Amino acid sequence: MATVIGEGLSIEGDLTSDEDVAVHGTLRGKLTTEDTVVVGATGVVQADISGSSVNIAGQVTGDVTASERVDLQAGGRLIGDVRAARFTIADGASFKGNVDMEI
Amino acid sequence: MATASVIGRGTVVRGNVRGQGDLEILGRVEGDVSVDGDVTLGQEAVVRGNVSGAEISVAGTVQGDLRGTEGVLLERGARVVGDLSAPRIGVAPGALVRGLVRTDGEPGLVAPQAQRRAAATPSLRAAPMPAQRPFVAKEAPRAIPAERPTPIERSPAPERVAAPAQPERPTVVERAEQPAARREKEAPPPPVVPVLAKGAKAKKKRREN
Repeated sequence: MATVIGEGLSIEGDLTSDEDVAVHGTLRGKLTTEDTVVVGATGVVQADISGSSVNIAGQVTGDVTASERVDLQAGGRLIGDVRAARFTIADGASFKGNVDMEI
Repeated sequence: MATASVIGRGTVVRGNVRGQGDLEILGRVEGDVSVDGDVTLGQEAVVRGNVSGAEISVAGTVQGDLRGTEGVLLERGARVVGDLSAPRIGVAPGALVRGLVRTDGEPGLVAPQAQRRAAATPSLRAAPMPAQRPFVAKEAPRAIPAERPTPIERSPAPERVAAPAQPERPTVVERAEQPAARREKEAPPPPVVPVLAKGAKAKKKRREN
């Protein structure tokens, strides 16, 4: 079963996983997984994120590294650098940082 | 209401976890866990740190204290090194505990939250266990003497120990009549006699005859 940080839950520290991680609550520290990361609309992440694919609909402050892709959804807010082969920013999302597409 | 949270099997958290809502831990947490909902630790869960929640159900390993405002339930396979404290504590056979176990509720702290939760969720998994256990323990000894066919046997034995000087009391009329003289002969070493099995006492008397 995948990891879910529900709304109202907050983790201060590192989270390491080899499966899907969904953040609807708060995470401060570091988030590392070998699978997908989803930051829900209510999610607040103040951490560097690393995963195979990262989907952001909430607020993220920190660098995002993905081996496959990063998707910034409408309403999502990302402050930090992105390092991924594919990166999409939806209309209505806000983003501040550098992008490295590993060419 | 806050959504339920899960720390999956392959997930390791190094740090503190706190907040609202229920939490299910199937992976590893190195740090304190503190939520106002229920906490469930799966069989493969490992927590190094204190865990506090409303009702804490453990089937995995915990190195730290467990504090439940409603209850703590250690299921089969649980391994806990640390203190347990909750109004209700259940330990299933097959669970290992090393630590202080305390079932005081600390009413001032617990009452408001427990009442609020009791209204929301009346079912409590830990509740039946402590309630049933004392019943079984108390009823069992009471039932066994009642089933014994010879209740008369019980009264003369303690009577002889307590008052060997006056062997004839109304409670033991049937038996006191015939071996009265013999019983006074036996009187000097009495305290050992009641401890013996009933059959042994009879044999001893027959031998003396």
